[in-house]
Amino acid sequence: MGVTVRQADADDAVNGVLPRWVALPETVEEVSAVLRACAEQDLAVVPAGGGTKLHWGPPPERCDVLLDMCCMNAVLEHAAGDLVVRAQAGVTMDALAATLADQGQELALDPPFTEYTTVGGTLATATAGPRAFRYGTARDLLIGITVVLPDGTIAKSGGKVVKNVAGYDLGKLFTGSQGTLGVIAEATFRLHPLAAERRWLVAETEVSDDVLLRLAASQAEPSAVEIDCPDGKNATVAVLVEGSAAESRALALREVLGDGTVTAEAPEWWGLILNDDVLLEARFPPARAVEALAAAGEAGLSFRGSAAAGRAYLEGRGDVPEDELAAAVARLRARLEALGGRVNVLATPYAGVDRWGQVSALPLMRRVKERFDPGRRMSPGRFVGGM
Amino acid sequence: MLETLTAALRSLLPHDSVITDPVRLRTYECDGLTYHRATPGVVVLPDTAEQVARVVRVCNDFGVPFVARGSGTGLSGGALPREDGVLIVTSKMRRILEIDLDNRRAVVEPGVTNLAITEAVRDRGYYYAPDPSSQQVCSIGGNVAENSGGAHCLKYGFTVNHVEACEIVTPDGDLVTLDRMDPGYDLLGAFIGSEGTLGIATKITVRLSRAPETVTTVLAAFESIEQGGLAVSAIIGAGIVPAAIEMMDALAIEAAEAAVACRYPEGAGAVLIVELDGPQAEVERQFTQLTEICSGAFELRVAADAAERAAIWKGRKSAFAAVGRISPAYIVQDGVVPRTSLPGVLAAIDRLSQEHGIRVANVFHAGDGNLHPLVLFDDAEPGAGERAEVVSGAILDLCVEHGGSITGEHGVGVDKARYMPKMFSADDLDTMQLVRCAFDPRGLSNPGKVFPTPRLCGEVPGVRKGVHPLVESGRAEQF
Amino acid sequence: MDPELINDCVHCGFCLPTCPTYVLWGEEMDSPRGRIHLMKQHVEGTPITPEMAGHFDACLGCMACVTACPSGVRYDRLIEQTRAEVERRHVRDPRERAVRGIVFSLFPYPRRLRLLRPTMWLAERLAPFLARADASLGAMAALAPRVERRRRLPRLVRARGQRRAVVGMLTGCVQGEFFPQVNAATARVLSLEGCDVVIPRGQGCCGALSVHSGRDDQARRLARRTVRTFEKAGVDTVVVNAAGCGSSMKEYGELLGREPGFRVVDLSEYLAELGPVAKRHPLPLTVAYHDACHLAHAQGVRAQPRELLSGIPELEIREIPESAVCCGSAGTYNIFQPEAARDLGDRKAAAVATTGAELLVSANPGCTMQIASAMRRAGARIRVAHTAEVLDASLRGVSL
Repeated sequence: MGVTVRQADADDAVNGVLPRWVALPETVEEVSAVLRACAEQDLAVVPAGGGTKLHWGPPPERCDVLLDMCCMNAVLEHAAGDLVVRAQAGVTMDALAATLADQGQELALDPPFTEYTTVGGTLATATAGPRAFRYGTARDLLIGITVVLPDGTIAKSGGKVVKNVAGYDLGKLFTGSQGTLGVIAEATFRLHPLAAERRWLVAETEVSDDVLLRLAASQAEPSAVEIDCPDGKNATVAVLVEGSAAESRALALREVLGDGTVTAEAPEWWGLILNDDVLLEARFPPARAVEALAAAGEAGLSFRGSAAAGRAYLEGRGDVPEDELAAAVARLRARLEALGGRVNVLATPYAGVDRWGQVSALPLMRRVKERFDPGRRMSPGRFVGGM
Repeated sequence: MLETLTAALRSLLPHDSVITDPVRLRTYECDGLTYHRATPGVVVLPDTAEQVARVVRVCNDFGVPFVARGSGTGLSGGALPREDGVLIVTSKMRRILEIDLDNRRAVVEPGVTNLAITEAVRDRGYYYAPDPSSQQVCSIGGNVAENSGGAHCLKYGFTVNHVEACEIVTPDGDLVTLDRMDPGYDLLGAFIGSEGTLGIATKITVRLSRAPETVTTVLAAFESIEQGGLAVSAIIGAGIVPAAIEMMDALAIEAAEAAVACRYPEGAGAVLIVELDGPQAEVERQFTQLTEICSGAFELRVAADAAERAAIWKGRKSAFAAVGRISPAYIVQDGVVPRTSLPGVLAAIDRLSQEHGIRVANVFHAGDGNLHPLVLFDDAEPGAGERAEVVSGAILDLCVEHGGSITGEHGVGVDKARYMPKMFSADDLDTMQLVRCAFDPRGLSNPGKVFPTPRLCGEVPGVRKGVHPLVESGRAEQF
Repeated sequence: MDPELINDCVHCGFCLPTCPTYVLWGEEMDSPRGRIHLMKQHVEGTPITPEMAGHFDACLGCMACVTACPSGVRYDRLIEQTRAEVERRHVRDPRERAVRGIVFSLFPYPRRLRLLRPTMWLAERLAPFLARADASLGAMAALAPRVERRRRLPRLVRARGQRRAVVGMLTGCVQGEFFPQVNAATARVLSLEGCDVVIPRGQGCCGALSVHSGRDDQARRLARRTVRTFEKAGVDTVVVNAAGCGSSMKEYGELLGREPGFRVVDLSEYLAELGPVAKRHPLPLTVAYHDACHLAHAQGVRAQPRELLSGIPELEIREIPESAVCCGSAGTYNIFQPEAARDLGDRKAAAVATTGAELLVSANPGCTMQIASAMRRAGARIRVAHTAEVLDASLRGVSL
């Protein structure tokens, strides 16, 4: 077959596990050919996009082939009149944004690492950004997907219209599946017009749940309500307003917050992940944001994320020994689960840290995995429950 | 076998929650699509999730298929019963269990109507965004099964974007919670819109939305449907995302006038209903743009208050059922095309209509290209039904050719299962079937819907080799 | 049962949430859509089974479904035809027959009702014992109102001030005997608004109760007598203050095959049309206005009573949640279907209680009796009044 394959080197390691080969397919058919060949040889495959989050998740049980999607980097169709774009999985988010901006449009996702992170990687990890509060996450904006199954079958679901309920939504299933069901090859998204104006209201201030809720519920319609607290003590609140009269709406929100400056520039930490050696994702009911913030601080973690959507990234500070981190995670998890929240460890160098809590639907998930990947060859062991 | 099954069901449920009287059973023979009918073997009306689970487990014990039904308003025959099976009706499960405005969510049972959620929180400035036209009657459980949309999903999305969690009874009778917060596969996303083939939702956590500061509803009357279609493209092209853009053609307007006297401008070839909502300043700017775009309209009405807004919407929301006033029978389709293809597709529908001598009324969600052509015919006239079927199928072909979908919100159900291969390859359908088999390996949950010829789980695609053991034992059947 | 009318139903289900029995039980066959399906089964040859008859009997005839139906299905006509068919074909069990016999030989006859008046105080005490013997008899007794002293109205009440119109007035059977104060108020309000009010003697029941229960022959007999009475009185407009009577009288043309020589209007409809001239005195009250089904659904009169009430200074109207759903009174329903009626009454009472209003106003005595008695059961009390009584108090400047 004509697919480019090279020997792997140390830089290609997936969380410490070195593959034997790196395959560089350029079309969906080539992805299919690689996977079919791997199926015949019983080779384990880990798909990769920009590689920004490859060290997230547990190391794979085995990894023979790294499927590098970097060459599938074409924006296939931008139907501006329909507010729809179809792109190959290897297109970086920045490249996609540049294409869309030419027509005054955007994909309203702002995941971290946009310079390198790809469409496929963003979908496979379901990373969310600040504006998820208004626009939802990747799964909410995805309207069509083409995937390649572990046996090489090419399958699609959805389409290129925003409204469509024909058949099962494989896009939802693959979003956040961490490469364990197959390979995401192409994706179609619904777009939004670029906002005419943007303003951030930023304040270093004591926050209360009441104020945060009133910000989120304000009819000035903020697109995001974020908190950044790097040290467990000093928190900054930033609220994004997009659209007409953004300035006056931001000023109206300042009345609610009681403090702050309105600027046209995002705060420097906006939507970023700065250190993902130890990285947790906290989910919590929006009305308990302050307690989640306090709990993160007590666990020795920073807190950055959406108070309004109830989702934040927690980063480790400095070197923490394995048993200490494991205990801190357990305590934090117990506390947030008691509120109705969750704690997932996205990245840690330690095997002894429990990455996921209890998941009610785990047996069903295992059955899905068995159907899609009966040979356990796609990113084996990288996912919940050792899937 | 149904007798022993019924006896088992009676031991689980209160006496009057198990219906076996033939006259009563027949009232459940169809949902909102009357074209397909089947009298259910037994109807049960459980009151709790635990009862639903027990019923499903009994169905498993007997290898009998089951179908879930909410309010029975579906338009694709998704709740068409099985004569050899159990119909599980959730209409008694209609408690609103919890309203938590701080966290913008409500927890409800599946039989609660869509509108009841909004009514419970409206006073406090919130609402539940998806608003199918049947919202005062359709159940949230049905909305989850169909991933229902509505006029306002152009801006706000569908059921799947507004449901945070579901407790479901799996096809083998387990109670499992699918939660957006949980790590792992997005089974919630896969479940919503699976038309009852992956289990039955027994408790639903929905997200509530804050009411917008301002709502402006505009009715624009155009001389022709082409002008209306161009206005839609121009609105989207100008970067406006209205809450809704709806269009009705002259025939649909005639029906609505007959039904509810909505008093739309006389002589309109098409009316456009555009609703803008959001912060006042945003809406004002969009309204200015909108009036420029609609300068070709011969009349522009702006609703001054809630009553006038309701009056504008009344004609649109009653349009489907109102068609009964101008035609003895009709088929409603639900195809979708890219919005930019609207003018071309509408012209093609018009040609089809003239070729076959079949009237087609168009009512649709123009903003997202979701057509609802109403193909009108007289069922007393020989051959008219067949001609209507032809036109109706040809319209779906048009949608697929333009890169659209055979259904935007009504679901595939039993009605459009045969069109699925037009849109999806055998590999696509087989891949979807993997999900089905993971949830429902025995194929007992609403069999015969969505997929044209589903294989038995575990069967390898290709030549069928003899009778499957499950078929032989009477636990499954071939299609 | 007219198959054409049955076929108008497209099975959309928009009627379901407005149907009181569907609201209670959530079962298809006790919804308008389900009942139409049952009618269809019968038309196609299925005999009327006791189960089928039970679902038709359970219909309150509130007509909320007619308001809700976008296809314009004439369920009102269908259910009347069906009830007549049930009466013709279906043999009821002896207990049912006995209760129906008592009701239909009593209620449509004012003179017979009058004989009961002295015993009304007893009824309330007897109700629990009767209920043990028979739920329907118990319900009948429990509903019995405390009757005010009967006042005989003159044959003609002259307009005060300048005369603007001459109208006839229906006194009704239940209204006239059990709620004479409402008739007196109606006459006074009409007169204060400038109407000569003609109140012919010898009025009986208008036939509504019989129409709603499928007793066609009795209905026609009573209707013909009422038409004769008013035609003889020579009025061209007859004002009716009881919703159930008004809705039936507006359909006389269909029942009798000829239009009567006068127009039938509801009191609130007429007053709104006439426009106010008399001075309104303030009534500082919070009022929950209850839509009687036979006014709101059968006659489409919703805005007018609200308009009249809100024209009274210092009076505040509060809307009742689920206002389109029947209270369960529905003519004779609370007697024939006591359990369902009671459940609906409780539901409505709870809804009324959420308004926190001091006074419950409705255009139908059956409704107010039903809701007030449900509120008493729940340990709450609310004063009740007919729209006419509230207007009368305001016009005369007295408190209610």
